[in-house]
Amino acid sequence: MIGATERLLNSPADLARLREEAAARNKPTGTVISLCRGGGCEVKGSGRLFAALQGAVEELRAAGKDVQLKRIGCHGFCEIGPILVIHPGNILYCNVQEADVPEIVRETILGGRAIERLLYADPDTGKTLATSREIPFYRRQVRFVLRYNGFIDPTSIDDYIALGGYAALAKALTEMTPEQIIREVETSGLRGRGGGGFPTGRKWRTCREAYGDIRYVICNGDEGDPGAFMDRSVMEDVPHSVIEGMIIGAFAIGSHQGFIYVRNEYPLAVVRLRQAIEDARRYGLLGEDILGSGFSFDLRINRGGGAFVCGESTALMASLEGKPGEPRAKYVHTVEVGLHGRPTTLNNVETWANVPYIITNGANAFASVGTEGSKGTKVFSLVGKITNTGLVEVPMGMSLREIVCDIGGGVPGGRKLKAVQTGGPSGGCIPESLLDTPVDFDALTKLGSMMGSGGLIVMDEDTCMVGVARYFLDFLVKESCGKCTACREGVAQALHVLNRICAGKGRPDDVELLLELCDLLEVAALCGLGNTACNPIRSTIRYFRKEYDEHILDHHCPAHECRGLYKFEIISEKCKGCGLCRKECPEKIITGERKQPHVIEAAKCTRCGKCYEVCPFSAVAKV
Amino acid sequence: MPKLTIDDKEVEIRDGATVLDAARAAGIFVPALCYHPAVASYGACRLCLVEVKQGNRTRIVTSCCYNVRDGLVVSTTSDKVVKARRGVMELLLARAPESEPLKEMAQLLDVKAGRLPTVTQSQRDCILCGLCVNVCREIIGASAISFVNRGVNRIVAAPFLQPSEACVGCGACAAVCPVGTIKLRWHADEVEISPFKTRVKILKCSECGAAIGSVPMLDRVRKKVGEPLAASTLLCDSCKRKRTAGINARLARSSRY
Repeated sequence: MIGATERLLNSPADLARLREEAAARNKPTGTVISLCRGGGCEVKGSGRLFAALQGAVEELRAAGKDVQLKRIGCHGFCEIGPILVIHPGNILYCNVQEADVPEIVRETILGGRAIERLLYADPDTGKTLATSREIPFYRRQVRFVLRYNGFIDPTSIDDYIALGGYAALAKALTEMTPEQIIREVETSGLRGRGGGGFPTGRKWRTCREAYGDIRYVICNGDEGDPGAFMDRSVMEDVPHSVIEGMIIGAFAIGSHQGFIYVRNEYPLAVVRLRQAIEDARRYGLLGEDILGSGFSFDLRINRGGGAFVCGESTALMASLEGKPGEPRAKYVHTVEVGLHGRPTTLNNVETWANVPYIITNGANAFASVGTEGSKGTKVFSLVGKITNTGLVEVPMGMSLREIVCDIGGGVPGGRKLKAVQTGGPSGGCIPESLLDTPVDFDALTKLGSMMGSGGLIVMDEDTCMVGVARYFLDFLVKESCGKCTACREGVAQALHVLNRICAGKGRPDDVELLLELCDLLEVAALCGLGNTACNPIRSTIRYFRKEYDEHILDHHCPAHECRGLYKFEIISEKCKGCGLCRKECPEKIITGERKQPHVIEAAKCTRCGKCYEVCPFSAVAKV
Repeated sequence: MPKLTIDDKEVEIRDGATVLDAARAAGIFVPALCYHPAVASYGACRLCLVEVKQGNRTRIVTSCCYNVRDGLVVSTTSDKVVKARRGVMELLLARAPESEPLKEMAQLLDVKAGRLPTVTQSQRDCILCGLCVNVCREIIGASAISFVNRGVNRIVAAPFLQPSEACVGCGACAAVCPVGTIKLRWHADEVEISPFKTRVKILKCSECGAAIGSVPMLDRVRKKVGEPLAASTLLCDSCKRKRTAGINARLARSSRY
């Protein structure tokens, strides 16, 4: 740790001065090119693009042009990445490739004209939109947690400070008492964003009042739900907001040591957080006597080992202690007896990142957004059969339909929306007919799903709901730690039944058996993973019972997903008689003359699907 | 001392005791497989479920991990409890259908095997209650065995599934195993801890040659005591008794009461 003399900031006044300097430095004078280097854009080649732009910028600078290239965190709209924003004008270019660089330099940077083909085109009107503010994906969002996303370089603490970062910390340390902070968080109505939705303020208060002299704070960054990447984006793109929230929380609770538990699959988050922690220490925002307040706090990063169950608080703490990541009974809460037997406050990444906003803008500003029981905003990752894959932050109370259809752009390819899955493996499927439900902890629970950490998987009419339940149960069987009988055996038994149904060998009483296993899991399993494992099954049975019955009684998969539970037929109008299917059919049961429609001999068909795969005219249909 | 009611019976028990302790002290039967008074509660088998009521709230908890509180009302026979307990038993039975002790307990709970197939058998007859692992670590201090793998693939084994060098051959794991999966097999000079494949040399009675115990365990005792063991420790129980009886007889003769 760096001694008090070497660090940069010794008081809130120092911080304010640094902010002014940084803001002045960041004030754009010439052209600023900001390239998204978030996970999605990176995969789509923004690394190579960055190198190409760097070359171009150097040339421009050599020619005396005032041009800057900036690396920016995730904008959220991953579908159209790599995203490039050019100031002045804040022109947003999407799907930018290396080959576009010369044209961008010539037209936009030197010529000051927008390139029509790189702009985002509104899918409804076809009109091109130049800035992010006009794009419907962004227009309806309300950003608290992601408020700096798309504006700052994740590796620069100065960028964060320039936009008002760490002001909340200075305010909390100098103008507020721990009691005031806790009351502020209580008043804000902030609830845990990890899925459970426990009131954060109450958690902090219990922890502060718990017996003991050493307390810990933990950030749960073990985001493991399939299709969820909200916490990842926060950790990778605005790591300082998590750190700032944790320091404020630690001050309120009376803790001097914190841990950030990051899943092993997020190496970039570890790199970014590590740098952020080092920068914060260098600045005197972590360590001893933070900002001259006398309060000391430090942070450590711990990497997970690839176990989903370590997102459960007691398993996470066991893992932090160096033990196998297994949960324990929570009859004594972790806020009283947690890590190393000390009172411990564990919050999700997004929860911590909300704290600076609440302290800066006040509890009322936060609580003015949202519903009666759920305040503020929620970040969702939109994935699955959706047009605008990406990260969105919406006010609580917005209906799922608005999120999926208006922001997400609905289902692509003219297919029909069937259901939305929220809450990961612990959540459930909400059918299209109930999509007008507002996003709210209690409303979603009532539907048999849950808020979860914010993964939102959209399914179209080609998705088999029995298959969905099977997918999640298969995930849970692989991720169950195996400690308790109910989860280890019960989930495996349920998966066995679901496999049977999907193979067309379901028995008439299988649905009842599944529901019985669900009841058992709910009461008898040790931790949340097992208790909520029933949700994917129950919700699909509740809303899509007909599909189960069709699988079991008619041996037919209405979504044509379960292999063997649908037939193949050649549509004679489409068949050109090329003979490819006849040649490829392993059973040699397709007959037909050249250039004449072919026919499958249904009785002998093994339903392998080869003809469907090879037909160049889409003349083979699943029925 | 907290006072609680279990199945309409008033029970008073020391602070810090669990509901299972209280029930057993009051002579009320609560089945449990992963519980042993010698080791810390683990809460894995889920058989000891009971329903507790405090205020207006009832919930199903594992009685081996739930500490008693004053005024707690516990039911060990409510419909919910019985249903859950039977469900858990059915799952256990599906996992280890051949274990005799498990079958006996299933009969006691009126559960019949057969409805659920065996889908998760990672280790024959083992219900993964963890007693062997915990007793080896907590009581013996050897940590020779532990859980290996995760979820349905979980088994109990020594590192790398090889015979363990840390095993002292004390047999505590076999003694606590509630389903009789762990067995001691006696060979000519060694005892084998099955199914861990570990073989440990045995010490034989210097008089009659009967097996007394394992060599490493007696070495351990010797180390703890800090001095060589008396010659009598190298005798089997019956030879020890014979020798003591002989000494006593001689003493009796010489003192001539």
